[in-house]
Amino acid sequence: MTAISLRSVVKQFGDVTAVDHLDLDLAEGELIAFLGPSGCGKTTTLRMIAGFEMPTAGQIWLGEEDVTWLSAEKRNCGMVFQNYALFPHLTVYRNIAFGLEMRRVPRNEIARRVRSVLEKVQLHGLEERYPRQLSGGQQQRTALARALVINPNVLLLDEPLANLDAKLREEMRFYIRTLQQEFGITTIYVTHDQSEALVLADRVAVMMGGMLQQIGTPEDLYRRPETAKVADFVGLVNLIPVRMKERCGAAIACESTLGPLEGRGPDGPGAEAEGWLSVRPENLHLSGTDGAAASGTDGTVNQMRGVVRERAYLGSLIDYRVEVGPALTLRIQGGAEAPYHAGDAVAVGFASADAWFVPSEEG
Amino acid sequence: MHRSIGSRVGRVAYGTLIVLLYAFLLLPIAIVVIASFNSGNYLRFPPQGFSLRWFRHFGETASFTRSFFFSLRLAAVVTVIATGIGTAAALYVTRTAKRYREFLRVLMIAPLPVPAIITGVALLIFFYAIHVGTHGAFGLVVGHTLICLPYVFLIVSTVLANFDRTLEEAARNLGAGPWTTFRRVTLPIIKGGVISGAVFAFITSYDEFSISLLLGGVGTTPLPIQLFDYLRFSFDPTAAVAGVISIVMAMLAVLVTERLVGLESLYYGRRS
Repeated sequence: MTAISLRSVVKQFGDVTAVDHLDLDLAEGELIAFLGPSGCGKTTTLRMIAGFEMPTAGQIWLGEEDVTWLSAEKRNCGMVFQNYALFPHLTVYRNIAFGLEMRRVPRNEIARRVRSVLEKVQLHGLEERYPRQLSGGQQQRTALARALVINPNVLLLDEPLANLDAKLREEMRFYIRTLQQEFGITTIYVTHDQSEALVLADRVAVMMGGMLQQIGTPEDLYRRPETAKVADFVGLVNLIPVRMKERCGAAIACESTLGPLEGRGPDGPGAEAEGWLSVRPENLHLSGTDGAAASGTDGTVNQMRGVVRERAYLGSLIDYRVEVGPALTLRIQGGAEAPYHAGDAVAVGFASADAWFVPSEEG
Repeated sequence: MHRSIGSRVGRVAYGTLIVLLYAFLLLPIAIVVIASFNSGNYLRFPPQGFSLRWFRHFGETASFTRSFFFSLRLAAVVTVIATGIGTAAALYVTRTAKRYREFLRVLMIAPLPVPAIITGVALLIFFYAIHVGTHGAFGLVVGHTLICLPYVFLIVSTVLANFDRTLEEAARNLGAGPWTTFRRVTLPIIKGGVISGAVFAFITSYDEFSISLLLGGVGTTPLPIQLFDYLRFSFDPTAAVAGVISIVMAMLAVLVTERLVGLESLYYGRRS
């Protein structure tokens, strides 16, 4: 069953088109992340679903109901704001009870439900505190509890972790995911942090310039990006310019300034298509130039030579920048067991299964 | 060494300046208070002996008590009207008005820079032209409201400029309609500004002279006018008593604000 349905939704602010013909369906219980740079329209879309903005054109459905013109207070969406928007003049308890009071829930029932949700977000004992007496993480959980206690049809999270420090952010990702599954609630999670989106979401919708670039599972997005922009935005990527020579099913053969290369590609583009091979830094393997150690093994058919230009020690791995051709430097991340240094001549290889063809925009 | 001497001189100079400043501000008030306890027959300083006779005289003079209670009632009515209109106007100008915002803002505070006597004359001519407000307290209420509005408007506008509107969105999101959102979220958070504005309006109305002089009438004489009339014929310490009452009222107002508003509410609803 479809929980949220956006049908050709457009939002214009004056001459600026913030959201451009967006179509999207969310299944019941699904967590979908809206991912994109700031100003891509992801927050505007969320605000339209919540009812804070009215679309210029198109329709918004929640379940079986067309809510396009319904005012915000009648939509039963729980929302967590980026700054949490906790009521400063009310205690934690009264903040969480607010939505239930609006629904005219009896007082003892309110007490029971607030206690129960406070247990779930581990805030019991802090009922009588005011928001300013809470840490960032506690404020965040209060905001979550306030949104969840009303049993909303959908949960809307607008960059909920943006104001937390790095360590807490990491913990809260898993926490939010667990909570969402426990409540089984359809959730939209807006973020500009691709690692957050990949960790949390069932599906990720990448938005740019008000348009949906690609929607898919985190693995789809990471391994099979449809455009160079998506490949570039989601994780680190090397884009090697190529022209497709021939294809056989998903396997393709390309030619490039580095010689012939093999990879995989989406349905559609055929021979002579221009584009890039996208290869993730962790899928590129380095070896010395003396032996052909890396060739042949584990399907590493693509081989080239290069010179290490820079290296950075990242602890668990080393981040290299290797120049493999004129104006083409590859980012390679590998284990620390075979360290190379700036100026070393190296061989670079990658498996054809790890290279994905991305057509250029015109094609 | 030189530096420490220098800083010491600076500190002493600074302290002296502060003492002088407070003396300049408070001495006249102190003199009025002392003069009100004078047992002599004339308003003068230093007083001749101590007595409460002029307080009794104030209380026993019907024209004074009548004016005093009239001033209180007038100030109360004006405060309610000015606070209501000023708050509503501040909400509108800060949030809704777009193209005419600055124009409306200037219009709202216009009674402040225009001399009150001019406003009074204009109102008097206007009231006589339309035959409204020439009798009773209506003219006074309108005139005082006009003078008090800018204070409420300015203070509430300042609080609203710092107001984080996502709080209202959060309330709407939780199921509160526009009116409930205003009553349960907006108003409690801007309460400090509204109360401060109301206190300002009350004191301004209570002390207003020029407009009262022109628009007051028989039976509707505010205390400052009554005092002025009285001083023209008898220069005794009753005037100082009225002054003391004014001072006590102002202090009470400040205390009440402090209790109702508190310092903490200044941090409410700020954008983070």
